[in-house]
Formats: sequence, C-alpha cells, structure tokens
Amino acid sequence: MLLDYDRLGWLRAALLGFTGLVAAFLLLPVVFIVLLSFGSSRWLAFPPPGWTLKWYEELFADPAWLEAALTSARIATMAAILAVAIGLLASFALVRGQFRGRNTLRGLLLTPMVLPVVVFAIAIYAFFLRIGLGGTTAGFVIAHTVLALPFAIIPITAALEGFDKSVEDAAIVCGASPFEAKLRVTLPAIKIGIFSAAIFAFLASWDEVVVAIFMASPTLQTLPVKIWGSLRQDLSPVIAAASSLLVLLTLSLMIVTALIRRKLSK
Amino acid sequence: MSGNLLHRPPILRGPDGIGGALPALILIILFFVVPVVALLLRSVTEPVPGLQNYATLFGHGTYARVFFNTFLVATVVTAVTVIVAFPVAWMLAIMPPALGSIVFGIIILSMWTNLLTRTYAWMVLLQRTGVINRTLMDIGLISEPLPLINNLTGVTIGMVYIMLPFMILPLVGTLCAIDPMTLRAAALCGASPFDAFRRILLPLSLPGIAAGGLMVFVMSLGYFVTPTLLGGTSNMMLAGMIAQMIQSLLNWGLGSAAAFILLLVTMALYALQLRLVGAKRMTGGI
Repeated sequence: MLLDYDRLGWLRAALLGFTGLVAAFLLLPVVFIVLLSFGSSRWLAFPPPGWTLKWYEELFADPAWLEAALTSARIATMAAILAVAIGLLASFALVRGQFRGRNTLRGLLLTPMVLPVVVFAIAIYAFFLRIGLGGTTAGFVIAHTVLALPFAIIPITAALEGFDKSVEDAAIVCGASPFEAKLRVTLPAIKIGIFSAAIFAFLASWDEVVVAIFMASPTLQTLPVKIWGSLRQDLSPVIAAASSLLVLLTLSLMIVTALIRRKLSK
Repeated sequence: MSGNLLHRPPILRGPDGIGGALPALILIILFFVVPVVALLLRSVTEPVPGLQNYATLFGHGTYARVFFNTFLVATVVTAVTVIVAFPVAWMLAIMPPALGSIVFGIIILSMWTNLLTRTYAWMVLLQRTGVINRTLMDIGLISEPLPLINNLTGVTIGMVYIMLPFMILPLVGTLCAIDPMTLRAAALCGASPFDAFRRILLPLSLPGIAAGGLMVFVMSLGYFVTPTLLGGTSNMMLAGMIAQMIQSLLNWGLGSAAAFILLLVTMALYALQLRLVGAKRMTGGI
C-alpha cells in the first residue's frame, strides 16, 4: 500500500506537504535572487524599500561583465564541441569495442567527474605554467574539455546501448559504406543522446569555477571568475542582477531542451 | 546479434576496436593523468625529498582540525540529505505525472542554476541582517540574530541545498523499481504501515540510499566553492585549505600532500561505490 498513491491515506497528505516544503526550499534562493536584483537597497534589505533597474544599468555599464560572459561562452562552446566529438568517437569503442580492459578504460575516461575538482585544478595549473599554457584560452579549453568529457560520454554511450546495431548493418548490406551508415543511420538514431551531451558539456564548462579561478589572468576572466571576485569584495546587488540573467539563461535552456527533446523523439 | 556471427555477410566488419577511444585516451593521459601524477610527486620532493609534508599534515592540530571539519560536515550533510530526500523521492515515484513534473522542474532548475548564484543567494539569506534572521526575530522566536554564516552551520545548510538533487534523482529510480505488489501483500498479511515501511520499503530502497549517500559524501569531502564562501576563514575545509596552500602560501609540497590525501580517500570511496552498485547504475543518473 505504501507505494499506491491513492491508498496512502493521511500519510499522503503529510508526505505531499513535506515535498512541497522541500520544493519551496529548492526554489527559494533562485526566486529570492531575482527579486533582490530589482530591489533598490544597496545593502540588500528584503523586502526592498522600492524597485529599480539600476543594478542592471550598472551591470551593463561595466564592460568587464559582458567581456567575461563572452569569454565564458567562447570557451564553453569550444570545450563542448571538442568533448562531444571526442566523446562520440570514444563511445563507439566503449559500447561496441571488444578489447581487454574496456571497463577500465571507461572508468579512466569518467574519472575527471569524480576526482575533486580542486586537485585537478592545481595539477593542471602547475602543468600549464610549466608548458606555457597558463592563462591562455587554449589552456582553458583543454582543461574544460577534460572536465566536460564524462558528461558527453555518459549520455552518448547510454543512447548507443539502446540502438540496435543490426539496423546499421542492414544499411551496409544494402550498399552504404560503413562511414555512411554511421553518419546517416546511427547518428540520427542517437541524436537525443548527442544533444544531451552537448548541453551537459557546455554547462560543465560554463559553470566551472575552481579550475577557472586558478587559470584566470587579469586579461582572461570567465563569468564565474568575475562573480567570484566580486563576491569576495562585497555582496553588491550587481551580482544579483548578473545572477538573475544566469537564472533566465538556465530557464531558457531548460525550455529549449524540453522542446528539442520532444521534437527529436517524434 | 553476436549469435549470428557465422552468418555475418563478409561486407560487414567485426566489432569496433579501441581505435575510436584513442583521442579521448590521449587527452586524458596527457592533460589529466600526467598533471595529477606530477602534482603528487611534488608532495614527496618539495622542498626536499622525503615524507616530511605528510608528517606536518598529520602532526599539527591546525590540520587535524581541518580534516575533522571536513569529515564532520560531509557526514552531517549526507545524513540530512538522505533524510530529507527520501520522502520527496518516495512521492515523486508515485505522484501523478502532472504534479511530479512540476517538482522535477524545480529540482532541475535548482540543479542547473549557476553554483555561485545559489551560494550568493544563501550568503545574503543567512547573513546577520538577512531575511531568515529578520523573519525569526519578527515572529519572536529569537531575540538575537543567529550566527548562520561564517560557521559550519552555514556550510551545512548551503551544502544540503546543493546535494539534495543528487540524492533525490537516483532514489526516485530505486523506488520506481520496487513492485507496489510487495507492499500490498504486506498490508494484506496484516502489516501496519510502519512495519511495512521498516521491513519492506526501507530495506528494498537501501541500495539506492547507499549509492546516493556515498556519492553525496564523496562530493562533500572535496567541495570547494560553497564551504569557502559560507564557512569563512576560520572554518576551513580540506579543499579550501589545499587551494590556500597553493594560491596564497605557494607551499606546493604541503598543498600537493593534502591533495594526495583527498584523492586517496575519494578514490577509495569511489571504488567501494563501484563494487556496491556497478559502474553502469552509478553513472546512469545523469
């Protein structure tokens, strides 16, 4: 009975109430930040004494914010493209390959996801200092591709495991070249996995703070580094304005993802 | 399909080899394995060869305190997260889909919102003059503001917030896989709801609780951003201490020794997790 929604009785009301509270707890900071960004108090009094757009004006008046956002977008796009391309190739070997140590290889390629980022951050920071990639865009992209790779591999291998290889074989028997069969039969069939991989890989780089803090130079800052730097100085409402725009971006990304998934799965 | 190997038309190639994985393998070895190993070597070579960095780490009260803080926070965060996540996952597993998708949407929104944004919100909410203290004082529950930030209380609240989705989502999977029939059978045989929970639902969901809990614990141990911003300088956790040793003190030997300890503990727990649930199920969560 405990797993029958309609027969839980009073327990259902209690559990639903608790779930509602937890949902409110999860929503609270997100809503709070957006409200705060329109509040007129510099000291973040809440509820605000009045409403204003001046924090957004201040945000857009400072070119450093926009520049940081563009840097982040550039790095995240390159890292996502690389991670998906490399991850796609690797996924074929991981799912269909027959060689010794396949599971070990899978574990190795997914390790960047489990190793505490701070360990990787100082390791790659020291390494790039030595080989001259410190504080460069290339260095950022490489480090973020490493971190994004597991997020690309997991959805693609999952999609590939659900795809019947004999369909691809059928295309080859019907005269397609192996490459053509992969390109025109297999890839379209696993496009939802590839699409999820691209989103996850992009977010892994876009939101990444720790490696970025170490890698950043005065001339090369990503958005999280800029927010981090401001946070360490004060809790200025300008950060709330920047954060609200990030929430807006997350929401649009969620909606676009849902729409594309629906379209792709038709 | 492999059963048909004998009838494979000659035009079809055999199974894929390791070739496709080579770019990924090169990337990971060159820019992940090599840098990490090089870093760990520095822990036994700087400033002079030997194990003195580890002796320092284990011999000083200051560092012992950081280790203690780290394990304490990770344990409390894991316990609270499990207790809060279970009822939510339970409801999500059996809720009507329309209602469930709203709750799922909120969980995903929270999870996908920039980490710094969420932490910033908690910094403002928890401060002395923040909304939470003001509300509690207005309704007369407290007369003095509670110290909710720059201490381990703040870190715990912020971390539970971050970790909840990582616990709820895998648990929903576990609970969905339990056949409702087993619980109906228990009720028919006269088990009270409490007995059915304690002797059937809880044991059956234990693998999910263990897997999610271990993941939350491991992530909490190495977390950097939230503890650093909500904990203040006097309540450092391990990851924050490592960053400080490298960034401000430039003590690479000591910093990489601490990093090695963190890596060792993390990898040991990760291996335990793999044995417990298998690689597939663990990574299937995303």
